[in-house]
Amino acid sequence: MTKYHPDTRFLTDYSAGSLPESQALCVAAHLHYCPACRTKVSELTQVGSEIFLSQEREEVSEDCFDRIMAKLSDLPATDTQSESSTSASLAATGQVIEPEPAKDKYVNDLPRAIQKLTGGSIEKMRWRKIGKSFRYSDINMGDDKRETSLLHIKAGGNVPKHQHGGDEITVILKGSFSDQEDHYHVGDYIVRTSGEMHTPVASQDEDCLCLATLDAPIVMNNWFYRLLAPLF
Amino acid sequence: MNEAAAKWSSLLEKVALHSDRNAFQQLFVHFSPLIKAFANKQAGASRGENFSEEIVQETMIKVWQKAASFNIEKANASTWIFTIARNTRIDLLRKNARHFQNKATSDQYEDAFDVDDIWVENENEDVFNQLAKQRNSEMLHESMKALPEEQSLILRKVYLEDKSHSEIAEELELPLGTVKSRVRLALNKLSLSVDR
Ligand SMILES: [Zn+2]
Repeated sequence: MTKYHPDTRFLTDYSAGSLPESQALCVAAHLHYCPACRTKVSELTQVGSEIFLSQEREEVSEDCFDRIMAKLSDLPATDTQSESSTSASLAATGQVIEPEPAKDKYVNDLPRAIQKLTGGSIEKMRWRKIGKSFRYSDINMGDDKRETSLLHIKAGGNVPKHQHGGDEITVILKGSFSDQEDHYHVGDYIVRTSGEMHTPVASQDEDCLCLATLDAPIVMNNWFYRLLAPLF
Repeated sequence: MNEAAAKWSSLLEKVALHSDRNAFQQLFVHFSPLIKAFANKQAGASRGENFSEEIVQETMIKVWQKAASFNIEKANASTWIFTIARNTRIDLLRKNARHFQNKATSDQYEDAFDVDDIWVENENEDVFNQLAKQRNSEMLHESMKALPEEQSLILRKVYLEDKSHSEIAEELELPLGTVKSRVRLALNKLSLSVDR
């Protein structure tokens, strides 16, 4: 059962679209597992839409509608037709349709964005190993202020002791882990602030897969440095 | 369902079922000046006319293309169009940012996912009781008007100006805690279930 949720600030900024993409990815991952927060986001989006509707209107250029219609007539078939005819017409225009990669069972119930990221199987991803039971795979979010990664901890294994140079958000995608403070489950959205030390340990019965994003000064961003830092 | 909402929904349905150009034009006349205003508020006027017109065009093109996926039973047409405009804005800002980065590093890379994979569209379809939802939406409309200015100002900044809580705190020279609590107060007044 999900116990840790993003606070109102995260949910509001997410629904407004202003949350940095790496953090929004974490919120989206949590929403995948949490119907209660989905309802909240849906309400917040209604608030946004009320505010959107209450704006003072600004006239668009005179030919705006014609431009839209021209662009539409240049486009191949749209969603108003069935999926297959869309692909067929895309194929007809010479666009290559990549077949959906086969997904293994493990990946199937992960949040949509994470599924895409894995390309169908987490074993296809590029992992870096630290120690016997911990590995991570960096996600390129095009954001140089944050580092986002998938973390994989073997059942019973632990993340090497580390310190945060900035705030870190972790969302559990599979399995569970414990640290000095609590035991965390699938969907939990855990925020750790700068300077906290912790040593998460995965539960004995299952590997643990997490999504984590850290905002931090560049030097501390890398797992390698984060592990070394306490030594200095 | 109130009259206006019902009207937009049925126009969307006509676009979906019959590719009805006239219905689409009515939607365009109503929504595009709102989308333009929404696009212009983001990051001030510095991005210029082209940026906001592009958002209007891209959003309306998606409205046409995705009309079939609009669920008249579950979603509200205005909210649906707002989320498309929001995602389009995120997408264009993201593309601009990538463009600059690639120029700086000459390092091209493909995004691992689309904006729609993170800001998932059917997020509005979870509210189970539609009657209650409709009542809420009318109450919401009324209680929005009754909010104190200091609270509605912050909500407008959050939703229209694409500013995070911390950016708003900086701009208004308020502690982050004050911004958070004004948002929370406002949301409580709107009797939303968000209360943490
Ligand atoms: Zn939640």
